[in-house]
Amino acid sequence: MFLHYLKVAFRNIRKQKMYAAINVGGFAIGIAACLLIALFIQHETSYDSANPNRHHIFRLVGEAKQNGQVHSGIAFPAPMSKAILNDFPEVEKAGRIMSNSLFGAANNQVRRPDQQNNTYEQGFAFADTSTLEILDIKMIYGSRTEALKQPFSVILNKSMADKYFPNQNPVGQRLIFNDNPRLPIIVGGVMEDFPTNSHLQYRGFISLAGVSFWDNEQSQWTASNYDIYLQLKPNTNIASFEKKMTDDVVDKYMVPAMVAGGQKNAKESFKDTRIYLQPLSDIHLYSYNIEQDDTRHGDIRFVYLFAAIAAFILLLACINFLNLSTARSANRAKEVGVRKVMGGSRNNLINQFLSESLLYSFLSFLTGTAIAVLALPLFNKVSGLYLSMPWKEWWLIPALIGGALVIGLLAGIYPAFYLSYFKPINTLKGNLSLGSKNGRLRSSLVVFQFSISVVLLIGTAVIYKQMQYILNSKIGFDKDQVLMIEGADALKEQTTSFKNEVLNLPVVKNVSVSDFLPVNDTKRNGNTFWEEGKQQDDGFALQHWVVDENYIPTLGMKLIAGRNFSKDFHTDSSTAVVNKALADKLGIKDPIGKIITNGGEHLRIIGVVDNFYFESMKQQVTPLCMVLGNSNSIVSIKIKGADMKTALATIEAKWKAFLPNQPMRYTFLDERYAAMYIDVQRMQYIFTGFSILAVVVACLGLFALAAFMAEQRTKEIGIRKVLGASVAGVFTLLTKNFLKLVGLSLIISIPVGWWLMNQWLQDFSYRISLNWKIFAFASLLMMTIALFTICFQAIKAAIANPVKSLRTE
Amino acid sequence: MIKITDLEKYYRTEEVETIALNKLSIEVKEGEFVAVMGPSGCGKSTLLNILGLLDDPDGGSFVFNGIEVAGFNERKRADLRKKNIGFVFQSFNLIDELTVFENVELPLIYNNVKAADRKKRVEEVLDNLKIMHRRNHYPQQLSGGQQQRVAVARAVVNNPKLILADEPTGNLDSSNGNEVMQLLTELNEKGTTIVMVTHSEHDARYSHRIIRMLDGHSVTENILI
Repeated sequence: MFLHYLKVAFRNIRKQKMYAAINVGGFAIGIAACLLIALFIQHETSYDSANPNRHHIFRLVGEAKQNGQVHSGIAFPAPMSKAILNDFPEVEKAGRIMSNSLFGAANNQVRRPDQQNNTYEQGFAFADTSTLEILDIKMIYGSRTEALKQPFSVILNKSMADKYFPNQNPVGQRLIFNDNPRLPIIVGGVMEDFPTNSHLQYRGFISLAGVSFWDNEQSQWTASNYDIYLQLKPNTNIASFEKKMTDDVVDKYMVPAMVAGGQKNAKESFKDTRIYLQPLSDIHLYSYNIEQDDTRHGDIRFVYLFAAIAAFILLLACINFLNLSTARSANRAKEVGVRKVMGGSRNNLINQFLSESLLYSFLSFLTGTAIAVLALPLFNKVSGLYLSMPWKEWWLIPALIGGALVIGLLAGIYPAFYLSYFKPINTLKGNLSLGSKNGRLRSSLVVFQFSISVVLLIGTAVIYKQMQYILNSKIGFDKDQVLMIEGADALKEQTTSFKNEVLNLPVVKNVSVSDFLPVNDTKRNGNTFWEEGKQQDDGFALQHWVVDENYIPTLGMKLIAGRNFSKDFHTDSSTAVVNKALADKLGIKDPIGKIITNGGEHLRIIGVVDNFYFESMKQQVTPLCMVLGNSNSIVSIKIKGADMKTALATIEAKWKAFLPNQPMRYTFLDERYAAMYIDVQRMQYIFTGFSILAVVVACLGLFALAAFMAEQRTKEIGIRKVLGASVAGVFTLLTKNFLKLVGLSLIISIPVGWWLMNQWLQDFSYRISLNWKIFAFASLLMMTIALFTICFQAIKAAIANPVKSLRTE
Repeated sequence: MIKITDLEKYYRTEEVETIALNKLSIEVKEGEFVAVMGPSGCGKSTLLNILGLLDDPDGGSFVFNGIEVAGFNERKRADLRKKNIGFVFQSFNLIDELTVFENVELPLIYNNVKAADRKKRVEEVLDNLKIMHRRNHYPQQLSGGQQQRVAVARAVVNNPKLILADEPTGNLDSSNGNEVMQLLTELNEKGTTIVMVTHSEHDARYSHRIIRMLDGHSVTENILI
């Protein structure tokens, strides 16, 4: 029986090639989208799942309220992990990671003692031995407990070890960091590379043993630079432990330290502080609102969004199948009648139609899997991931087959019941026009399909506009034509002469030396300053950027009051140029001449620059001051004219003359700026991609439906033409109803799209406003695409010779 | 074999009620060949649908093979139908996606006959009806006469007790039509009861008895043999 069903299904597919192609094509697109997104979700949810103790491991997150806003961070004082370990028996292990680039973590210039050239290596962090144990670091050489025992020892990951010490056990070998041969770093061990689904991606751990980054740093409670990981004993009550720990840390250590430092209402300032435990397996997906967390994280909201989009595309394809099957029911009605007369029961027929939809589903899964495999490299590129098809997993094939069964049944169940219901006495004489029945259901489903498509189109348009706004809006500095040379601290005392020589090059407009730049991965700080004469308690966090006198012109910042630093004023060493946000914060109309202080430093304000964005546009511009000084690892060069290639070659030649052993490492300010919004850009690409898929699937359905309707109405069109209807009249007749449906879907989807995208924009402190143009654009686009889809069929039907269509009757 | 008494059937729309069968009483004995004639709209097709258990009467009694079947539900009727009745239609009603062999095989599949038996039976019937050489063709590759031959083959493959033929020659030219009538006569001679609706006096003359209908009831009966 089943073979019989399959045979008939195959013959039907062969006979109705267009419908089959549209069904299989639409399904395959939906399935490919689902597969890719399933891979993405599987990867995102697999983070840190290899650690056998993952249920007892936590990262500490501090949460504090400032001006009604909640801020979260993961940096804590150096002595805190030991204090918690001592104070609470629930804590089995406590360990720290310090990745602040100010103190030699993050990146280093590395060479073997016998090498001349430095190589810039990223991904270093300082760590305790206990951290290695908590994170279950797997060693290849050396012992986990011994490797970091000695001061100045390092654990390299396998790929870095292979790079410097190929084919050997490097334990005990030396490396020179940052051209400092007096302080060689000893390799204490080699660890396996972190798997791609680990929230940490460090390539080397440097020992914290005996380290003190300044006097008494290790016992100081007022500076926060350490991430803390805890392993708790099983069965610890997390909530009550969090409460106890917060009280302990605040009351016993932090408040006394602040009071000792001179802050009066220290206790009050910790009122809303809470330290909580973030489970290891949550770190990857639930850290999107933690500030200053330098590891790249996923975002659970993206996971949900993608899952929803994939499900919608598949749903659209299911709707196509349902609509086409019921619309074409007239073609199958006679067959149903004959089969029933020949003894087929309704169950036989339901089984037959379900087999048919299952066949479609399986064909679609084959095609869809092929599409997914082909599209995977592109998807990886766009999403910034390294996903691969899990061919070797035992569950893949059963999962695909299971998916095909579910989709086939889901899409086929309604048509099967609908078609098998026909009474033979109604169908055998061919006096049944079933195509127009069920019109309302079909219309609602078409409206549903197009509503989803329009929402996605609106989403795409809004994200695109916001991205354009970010890239092109007045950002307060000129990011174009600026070359950033990194690792320039290797120039040491030659920095000034390098700067002057480059400044003299004809291709160069200006040169500035400063580690602080308004793009990610450059230096930041934040200390409490206040206006002199006021209380420390009135203070605010201030970015304190060390720059030179060329900084403001090189970056094209705009002075709105006062003046820039100048060589002619030797008193400029204790002055500051501040941003408008600081002037606003002080609440003074004319801040020039006012003095700000942090207790030690007293800075007289000599100029105010207009606000420039130095963090993502998701955050407000905060107070910032610039002071003259030495901060020499990045040289920024503003190029004259458009010939970047020649400029680059000339500058590189100059660099070589100064530092023959260290290749020039450079980036461009505008690229670095764009990289700050990589997640928005990815979202834009992915949204665009899926919107196109959704529109394609919906239009496939519309195309087939239009074809079918035209076919159904052949006789009517013939009669109308004989009676004098024009081609234009017939065209209108055939397109009007479909366009009405698309219009209805616009009415439904525009408010939904507006609401959703308004929510999304709330993430940005600086954002576009949603105006009618975006919606008009999406509506017009959808209408045009829909009209284009149906007009082929409509025109074909409208210009057909009526004699032909009437004669066939 | 068939005994209907005071059979009634109405068709209702919102405004009109049409009486299709009006207290019709007919009896058909086993082995008989009966032709039903009458003008369009006289209730012939309705009668055939009820006899074929495709439709349910609104009143009266219908005894098939000694069992009262009026009021049977769809499932019971379908069961009785597939075991006892074969159909031949004016428009052949072959399934386009199936070959000659597969079309004839269809009733056996629904009667859960084993594949080997099916093959034997289908081949036997195709052989008898001299369309064996067309077994792998599709309906649209055949002439009208050949198609109706296949339809007859399909109607008899399950050895039904009763064959219902609804204007079996209506779509055929006279020579093909005669051939089909010849076939039905041969089947009848082998013992199958046949009830045939027709407009053609010529075809009706192949039967034993002609029932003439008007406005839902039988007016006269001509007994030919």
